[in-house]
Amino acid sequence: MIGQETFADALLDGAKEVFETMMFMTVEPCDEAGHVIGGSALLGSITFTGDIEGCLTVCCSYDCAKTIAVNMLGAEDEELSEDEVVDAVGEVANMLLGSLKSRIAETAGEIQVSIPSVVSGTELVNSLGEGAAEISQVVNIDEETARFTLLYRDAKV
Amino acid sequence: MAKSLLVVDDSATMRKIITRTIRKADLSVEDEILEAGDGSEALEKLEGNSVDIVLCDINMPGMDGRTFVKEARQIPSNANTKIIMISTESADEVIDGVKADGANGYVTKPFTPETIQKELAPFME
Repeated sequence: MIGQETFADALLDGAKEVFETMMFMTVEPCDEAGHVIGGSALLGSITFTGDIEGCLTVCCSYDCAKTIAVNMLGAEDEELSEDEVVDAVGEVANMLLGSLKSRIAETAGEIQVSIPSVVSGTELVNSLGEGAAEISQVVNIDEETARFTLLYRDAKV
Repeated sequence: MAKSLLVVDDSATMRKIITRTIRKADLSVEDEILEAGDGSEALEKLEGNSVDIVLCDINMPGMDGRTFVKEARQIPSNANTKIIMISTESADEVIDGVKADGANGYVTKPFTPETIQKELAPFME
């Protein structure tokens, strides 16, 4: 199994690349392990299979998602539909896994990814069952807070 | 002469981002940029419209981008249509594979406006 530190660094570096390139937003790690996004939240999720399998999620409040969508689309708040806000979170999960994948390709081998999906609710968490490693990174994105979680396990187990 | 474009992505948000990026770039494109949500819809749009350049995602539900390129290249009327893939996939095997299937260019997400402009520029003349 690949070291968690390797994945954690790659996840954060990938997030910085995605947010700075596509949304002109800065991502800074926030030392709040176990932090649960409060209130109404969105959870973007994308699964992957290969030598390792698992899923990557992006969880943030609806307001944070709206800020991301505004920056991503270069739109005004009032111009955005709810679908566009939801879609933006799915795209972030998609691009984040793409950036992570390119950073861990040499050690993790080939990975096939799914289509991203997004759910809304409160106190959202994801699970891959027993035997899965978890890397969770709470970050500040400009003035907002989000949580990136990577769950993975060796596919041969 | 302005070029006609078709943007193919299952994400309406990503289609909007790509369209906005093209509009902001100093490129001569037609006012209406066509859109499709997957490969099948893109093939239908190609059949009914004259399209110079297609910008296409790879990982889509329904017909994916790789299948779309193969299918599009089987149709003689698309011979001069340039197809540029836009995907989070960055592995050389994927990029080489899709180019072997008939794609003319490749942009990796996340992308800057400059990357899109640079990739499109050779096909705008």
